[in-house]
Amino acid sequence: MSNSHDHKPGFFARWFFSTNHKDIGTLYLIFGILSGLIGGYLSFMMRLELMEPGFQVFDNPHTFNMYVSMHGLLMIFFLVMPALIGGFGNWFVPLMIGAPDMAFPRLNNLSFWLLPTALICLLISMFIPGNPSGDGFAGSWVMYPPLSTSGHSGPAFDFVIIGLLAAGFSSIFGAINFITTIFNMRAPGMTMHKMPLFAWSVLVTAWLLLLALPVLAAALFMLFFDRNAGTGFFDAAKGGDPEMFQHLFWFFGHPEVYIMVLPAFGIISHIISTFSRKPIFGYLGMAYAMVSIGVVGFIVWAHHMYTVGMDVDLKAYFLAATLIIAVPTGIKIFSWLATMWGGSLSFSIPMQWALAFIFLFVVGGVTGVALANAGYDAAVHDTYFVVAHFHYVLSMGAVFGIFAGFTYWFGKMSGYLYNKYLAAAHFWFFFIGVNLVFFPQHFLGMQGMPRRYVDYPAEFAFYNKISTLGAMVTLVGVLFFLLWLAEAFIVKRKAADNYWGEGANTLEWTLPSPPPFHQFNTLPRIK
Amino acid sequence: MSLQDTSTSTSSHRKTVMILAVVAVAMLGLGFASKPLYDTFCKVTGYAGTTRVATVKSTTVLEREITVRFDANTRDDLAWTFKPEVVSMKVKIGQNVLAFYTAKNDSSVAVVGTASYNVTPIKSAPYFSKLECFCFTEQRLEPGEEVRMPVLFFVDPLMVEDKRLDEIKTITLSYTFHNVENPGEGAYTQEDREKRLKDIQSVDLSQ
Repeated sequence: MSNSHDHKPGFFARWFFSTNHKDIGTLYLIFGILSGLIGGYLSFMMRLELMEPGFQVFDNPHTFNMYVSMHGLLMIFFLVMPALIGGFGNWFVPLMIGAPDMAFPRLNNLSFWLLPTALICLLISMFIPGNPSGDGFAGSWVMYPPLSTSGHSGPAFDFVIIGLLAAGFSSIFGAINFITTIFNMRAPGMTMHKMPLFAWSVLVTAWLLLLALPVLAAALFMLFFDRNAGTGFFDAAKGGDPEMFQHLFWFFGHPEVYIMVLPAFGIISHIISTFSRKPIFGYLGMAYAMVSIGVVGFIVWAHHMYTVGMDVDLKAYFLAATLIIAVPTGIKIFSWLATMWGGSLSFSIPMQWALAFIFLFVVGGVTGVALANAGYDAAVHDTYFVVAHFHYVLSMGAVFGIFAGFTYWFGKMSGYLYNKYLAAAHFWFFFIGVNLVFFPQHFLGMQGMPRRYVDYPAEFAFYNKISTLGAMVTLVGVLFFLLWLAEAFIVKRKAADNYWGEGANTLEWTLPSPPPFHQFNTLPRIK
Repeated sequence: MSLQDTSTSTSSHRKTVMILAVVAVAMLGLGFASKPLYDTFCKVTGYAGTTRVATVKSTTVLEREITVRFDANTRDDLAWTFKPEVVSMKVKIGQNVLAFYTAKNDSSVAVVGTASYNVTPIKSAPYFSKLECFCFTEQRLEPGEEVRMPVLFFVDPLMVEDKRLDEIKTITLSYTFHNVENPGEGAYTQEDREKRLKDIQSVDLSQ
């Protein structure tokens, strides 16, 4: 392969008209970091407010709830999904399957640039009237009517709808691109059953996106029509049913949580295998565990709605179906442990993130099994117990997966090595911080503290204070992240082709760090 | 193998992308279709407390008694006083029962309202059959007008065959009146109501 072919376009054409999967992946990662910082700022303000009973930061409960809503939407649609799917997916799926690029490079460009458009819509919504109580949309990321229809008469929520539709179509286009790439562009000899687990995880995720996001789009269109065109899809006075929105939303929303965590599963598998210097235990079981999580994920949605007044038989069904998900998830956890068993372990930075991921995801999984039970859920529904649960699987599951992947592949993507002491400080402050934030919230929830309130009685003060102190520790962790990132680009320590050694054996490690602008002009052949 | 190979795979790309696009559009369509599908599903199964509409009166009466409670609500934007004539009554399963609600328009303009409804416990909904109800049509009330509105129902005798419903001693029928902003032609006036009530009362309700 000659490098004379490695022609890069000029700055503007390269980054704004980009059709190169690695450059688009980089754009997604930068975008994810920026939205993560905005979303993190919103949550930090919420924690400052909740540090003491009474009003500290906010003088308007509407604004607090607007921060809650925007935090959720930003973290889900503009941090986790862009980073895991758009970022790592774009960077490493073509490299791992031996493809020169994505199947539709220009569609890829469209997918990315829809996202900043969407983010701008959401950010604008924060500063324009939501309802008579204040600016912005304060109806939470679930957007239930009638609060999102007659409850938010101002234009803010219309901007949210338009933004989310843009983000949704971005993901649908991305999903079509990934599935086509993986089905049609694998290198000779790269059969589906030899494909690296990260590519498998993105394939399953892409199918979930393709099947779930159009349903969200339909629900958002209907909300938009109810608000602006006089229809009554969700208005009981016009023969509609607000509960139907909840069904539509969670038919999307439950697969969405797997969309956020499955790519992390894929990344963790590679890291555990690399730093145990062993192939992953039970490769096929791992791949099909992800497939079955994806399939079962579509038939459990109403466990988010146990309190709408559904029939007890229906609750029993959703309860049992939900518990079944613990089986493939358990297969994954135990296969990771079995991979490490007898392995030659090294506890480098990505491995620390991966081990923490497994620990924290299990904690969140256990509370998930508890919450699947309709009887228990009725007691803690919409309390901080639920907040603790889903932050353990998402803010610690998915986000630890992102940091694991970022520290694993940073040298491959940038060509530079980071300072491992700064990166270790990032890990430890972040790990201790997020646990301090969210573990006490289990107790708050069990004591009955409800979500989405700006104020609380003095009885809840103690654990709220610990939680806010945890947010401050986490902030230090984030600062160390930005610090090691900046340091690596300033010092420019060159990364070797395969800086993790023999344990790292997927195709991206056969290329230079960073890989050439166009790779695999001669397709690799897989034995 | 070289980059040229991507052109030969264009046709397989096209096929894949067509299938995937159809899947996405189908899911979008299903999302919209869920509205009629959900309505039909609720009506057929009695899901979410949707009551049955019966066309023929019940012909068998059982000894088992059920207390039927009547609940009435109005939305904030509707200036009506809406309440049941009796709060509850004991009925035999299978008995055809005529009950009345009253509504008074407290505002100074004619208002059209429409009622949404359900019954609890939700599992009893498939066995709560309405022959006639003011909730089937929109109701127009002149300023200050006060009216009686009928609901003719029976508890389906098939209920006793469902063991899950053995515990049920009380069924609550609940209505909420909503303001209709753009009323249709078919809203009932007092004339329509009187005519309809005569029709109902002319029917022999005894079994």
